[in-house]
Amino acid sequence: MLLPALFFITVLIIGPFLLSVWFSFTDQRLVPRPIPTKFIGTTNYERMFADPLFWQAIWNTVFFAVIVTPVQLSMSLGAALILNSAVPFRGFFRSVAILPLLLPMTVIVSIWAVLFRIPSGPFNAVYQWFAGQGNYVDFLGNPSVAMLSIVALSAWATFPYQMLIYLAGLQEIPQDLYEAAKLDGARAWHRFRYVTWPGLRNVNIFLLIITTVGALKLFTQVDILTKGGPNGATTTIIHYLFKRGYANQKVGYASAVAVFFFLAVTAIALFQRRVLKNEGEA
Amino acid sequence: MKHALYAGVALAVCMTSPYASAGQLTTWVIDGDSEKSYFTQLEETFNAKYGTEGITVDVVPIPSYNEAIQAATLSGDLPDVIMLDGPNMASAAWAGTIQPIGDILDPEILEDLLPAVKAQGTYGPDQQLYFVSPYDSGTILWGNTALLEKAGVRIPTSVEDAWTREEMRDALEKLAALPEVEWPLDVKMHYGAGEWMTYGFAPFAQSNGGDIIDRETWIADDTINSRSNIETLTELQNWNKNGWIVPASAGDNKFYGEKTAALSWVGNWMWPAHRESLGDDLVLIPPPAFGEAGPISANGSWGWAVPASSTNLEDIKVFLNYAMSGEQVAAYADITGYVPSRASAIPLSKTYREGGAGEIFAKLAECCGVVRPVHPAYPVITNAWATAVVNILSGDVDVKTELDRAAQTIDQDIADNDGYPPFGQ
Repeated sequence: MLLPALFFITVLIIGPFLLSVWFSFTDQRLVPRPIPTKFIGTTNYERMFADPLFWQAIWNTVFFAVIVTPVQLSMSLGAALILNSAVPFRGFFRSVAILPLLLPMTVIVSIWAVLFRIPSGPFNAVYQWFAGQGNYVDFLGNPSVAMLSIVALSAWATFPYQMLIYLAGLQEIPQDLYEAAKLDGARAWHRFRYVTWPGLRNVNIFLLIITTVGALKLFTQVDILTKGGPNGATTTIIHYLFKRGYANQKVGYASAVAVFFFLAVTAIALFQRRVLKNEGEA
Repeated sequence: MKHALYAGVALAVCMTSPYASAGQLTTWVIDGDSEKSYFTQLEETFNAKYGTEGITVDVVPIPSYNEAIQAATLSGDLPDVIMLDGPNMASAAWAGTIQPIGDILDPEILEDLLPAVKAQGTYGPDQQLYFVSPYDSGTILWGNTALLEKAGVRIPTSVEDAWTREEMRDALEKLAALPEVEWPLDVKMHYGAGEWMTYGFAPFAQSNGGDIIDRETWIADDTINSRSNIETLTELQNWNKNGWIVPASAGDNKFYGEKTAALSWVGNWMWPAHRESLGDDLVLIPPPAFGEAGPISANGSWGWAVPASSTNLEDIKVFLNYAMSGEQVAAYADITGYVPSRASAIPLSKTYREGGAGEIFAKLAECCGVVRPVHPAYPVITNAWATAVVNILSGDVDVKTELDRAAQTIDQDIADNDGYPPFGQ
């Protein structure tokens, strides 16, 4: 029974990864060419670490993950708490809340591109209400705002996924704990702090890891909306990798980036797992 | 084990090329709205004419065309005839993916091709034709007469009296002062850092005596970051800083929809949208002369190429000569709005013949088109230049630093490929 699974994991995951490790030490190109592919040692890695745009991509990706993860998880938890309480039309709101999940990211991004329009897109119309006619924010064209705009869009587009998992987690917490807490005179905040929050520990650990990893993979939004601009302000590691591998057709170089990215993400996920587990054990 | 066996069989079936039967040709074409009805027509008329002789063609529009071609190249599944974007021809010819077609095209077609179209299809090392297109494209300044007249700006009517750089700067300043104008010039920044940035912006550089790579030595340093290019791009950057250029996030329709931009620098594909919205206010202005070289228009097109793997050359010859025949070239132009690629087809076209509304496009294609570098490193060259242009036009960055970086990227790629022999030898 194990054999089919092992076969597909080897062919689809382990094999390609080992192949990209090999490619990263060569000058492999995307399309065939008349001169042979050469082993070039660590040249790809040296160039990668010497490229300021690579470091900018790392910084942008980390910035995005550090902001979007807490923002998105707070949104998800908040929405889950509301939908888990006795609000009227709960079923209706639960269905509405997951609507963003039903749309492909490309569609969501195209809609938000219109919302971000200058000078008179819907967001700027709201802004002008406060700041006065003639003022506008170039959400995607201003280097200091562009990444935050992508954070807002991304958090909105994917929060229902985490919300569903939180909702399931909330329903796992036994009701008698809440009743006991109530009898002891615990108010809403205390019930959240001492019953709900500890009850969600495993869910939190899981969501923190998958949200962080998902955030580190940011690509679609950037590729459609800003192409990494303005001036590299929204270049992410995956976008950088994509540009090197496809536009510049340097599969060897892109493989070096991919290997680095894989190791970095694995290290971050293991680190998170370790830290959170230790807290739980203490 | 059984699973592995099934997978192996499935793989083998996938790898058997379905494009082998004699007399039956398959060609992949781009999946564009404006081209669709042309290709339907091409397939129907060709099959009606040659079906009795046993030659038929299946014209298949392919979405995500470039990716599909790359994948089919890698897996050896290319059809008999493909379309390529002109500037990618050299890369495909160098890689040995496509074969020369000069010998299978009728001599009268070869003689009749516009010079820039021929240059686009000719591969440097062997001077053979690998690519031929039924059309050419061009860029022009589209103007809104109402706004230009209100600002008191002279409107050039021919290539000879095109605006100089100073005149254009002056015009933008006057237009920006009009209350109904938000940003006077739309240069399609929202197309992003893709081919448009090379197609649309290299002409400004070339008009000022610059280029994006030295076409003799194939070295970018001292050409892409030359003094004249720095001057050209600094000028454009200043226009942007002055608030004269429509920013990327403002969308597509400032010139033809909201009419808050008075000028638009874009190719002939926008003609239908412009004509419909501006009507009689629409005026076609020749490209500005940024420097000594005078006005330069972009040029280039998608066209036909034959994969090296195709063996059915007798039938392909019939198809290509039909697709490049005078009537088909004229039909392509009339249906899609592009300029015919054969000199003899221009007088037949209602739009582009003398006195026609698009006469200036045909003139530009003949006098002022500069082909993009025909070199296998083109994908890297265009990407480096496009990135620099977008960065320069999106903020207060140092123009020389950006161009130096582009030069380094290109030269490093060429060095990494041993100069793409036999280029640079």
